[in-house]
Amino acid sequence: MCLKYSRSSSLITMLDYKEIIVDHYKNPRNFGELEGADLTLDETNASCGDMIRIQVKTQKLKNSKTQNGEGDLVIVDMKWRGVGCAISTAAASMLSEKIVGMNKKDLEQYGEAGVVEMLGGEVNPGRMKCATLAYRGLLKIFENNG
Amino acid sequence: MFDVEKVRNDFPILKRKIHGHDLVFLDSGATSQKPESVLSAMNDYYHNTNANIHRGVYELSSESTRLVDEARGKIAAFIGAKKEEIIFTRNASESINLVMYSWGKENIGSGDAVLVSRLEHHSNLVPWQELCREKGAELRIIDVDANGNLKMTGDEKKTVTENGLTVRLGSFESLLDDKIKMFAITGASNVLGTRPDIQNMIKRVKRATGEAKVLVDASQMVPHMKVNVNVLGADFLVFSGHKMLGPTGVGVLWGKNEILSKMKPFLFGGDMIGEVKLTGATWADIPSRFEAGTPDIAGIVGLGAAIDYLNKLGMENVQIYEKSLMDYALQKMSVLENEGVIKMYGPKDAEDRGGALPFNITGVHAHDAAQILDSFGIAVRSGQHCAAPLVTGFGVPAMVRVTFYIYNTIGEIDYLVEKIRNVPKVFA
Repeated sequence: MCLKYSRSSSLITMLDYKEIIVDHYKNPRNFGELEGADLTLDETNASCGDMIRIQVKTQKLKNSKTQNGEGDLVIVDMKWRGVGCAISTAAASMLSEKIVGMNKKDLEQYGEAGVVEMLGGEVNPGRMKCATLAYRGLLKIFENNG
Repeated sequence: MFDVEKVRNDFPILKRKIHGHDLVFLDSGATSQKPESVLSAMNDYYHNTNANIHRGVYELSSESTRLVDEARGKIAAFIGAKKEEIIFTRNASESINLVMYSWGKENIGSGDAVLVSRLEHHSNLVPWQELCREKGAELRIIDVDANGNLKMTGDEKKTVTENGLTVRLGSFESLLDDKIKMFAITGASNVLGTRPDIQNMIKRVKRATGEAKVLVDASQMVPHMKVNVNVLGADFLVFSGHKMLGPTGVGVLWGKNEILSKMKPFLFGGDMIGEVKLTGATWADIPSRFEAGTPDIAGIVGLGAAIDYLNKLGMENVQIYEKSLMDYALQKMSVLENEGVIKMYGPKDAEDRGGALPFNITGVHAHDAAQILDSFGIAVRSGQHCAAPLVTGFGVPAMVRVTFYIYNTIGEIDYLVEKIRNVPKVFA
């Protein structure tokens, strides 16, 4: 990000565009098609037209904390595609790295607060739908297949 | 002579700083700012007059009743209507829903058709989708061309049936026949600014159908130009007070007396009844029949003050001034477009458009652009502008939209253009 902007008195808004966001926006990680994906989900942001397709590979892992016979669904790989703004793109990119090894409970605990933290601790309220697009998609994957 | 600096002085909010910059408010298409006279009229009402209308015989109640009555008269005169034909609602959306429920459900059935356009705001599209689905009627949608003008001639494009609703998309001419019972059309697109030649279209619909009713969504029209319902030829006209210097919470439905008088109520309750017995009730005459419950009295008073303000400026002057802003903006933005910095949408000539100018900055999502512009104090709308089928029809997920009103200036347009150039640098 240009120094010119962070020096301006509009620092608060511009915090949304810190270097890490611009980096993930320009070079999104895990972007593309996941070969051999076992689950696919499309999530859209109706108010702005952003859409994302999330593909994951999962495993059922026994967890000493949960007693159900089959074990918890855990995401072991994720790829994604879609059109979106810098915030939703960076969030999807960053989350695609964080999600590996998480089950439903882990993601719920991570929460929207974790997403905000991941994006640098500050998201304009008007952009929360952008920031949480991929997060909501991943939650749905767990809910639909839990 | 239109003195914009004098106008700006009447709007307290324009003195605000946003992120350290002067506020440049370019989202009046969503809601306008309010002049001091509107704010003080509402404040004065609560300080000195507040009482419910039509209820008491005491002084405050009769004063309140008179204030609402006067405001109704001002609004009627503003659009060339009769006072009893003005119905207060919450907003234009509610006005359209009122017509859909009270007139549409009674008069539209299987085999009938409703004609709308692709330019419609969701509020003039979704109610008709739902009505047609419920009644087994056909929804016909006039398509737009690449410049955002309505397609007037040419073949029908396609027919889709989904979830029990059949939608036909095509040119005005290809969709026009006597099955149409309702023609619901915007007077000016909230996204592209397109101003269809509705007067001519209404004439043709009336000629082709004889009995079709016409509703004009004038939300982006009444605040910006002289509108006369007698000239337009429509049966219903809707608009929102908050887009024309009034407060939020008050909308207007105008309808022809002879049609409104035959319509059943939309909402039931106090004030809309004639006689009430334990087993039922009769309905009041218009406009009360459609105004159940205590209205937004202070809001109505505020809207009356807004009409006074606009009348003082003169709607012809408002229109001329706004056109000069649009002419200038189109000229400046065209330079950016030719340099590849932005892409604009909608009619290229200010003659054909209201005060909306949508665009995208090359390589930057509309939301990012709007947020970066906000950091310079510039308020613009981004997204689909409650008109998803129109925006996505241009092959983009979202657009940035600039809309002008009486307090905007040439200097603000220069500032906008300068800051648009800065936006891509954030991602460079």
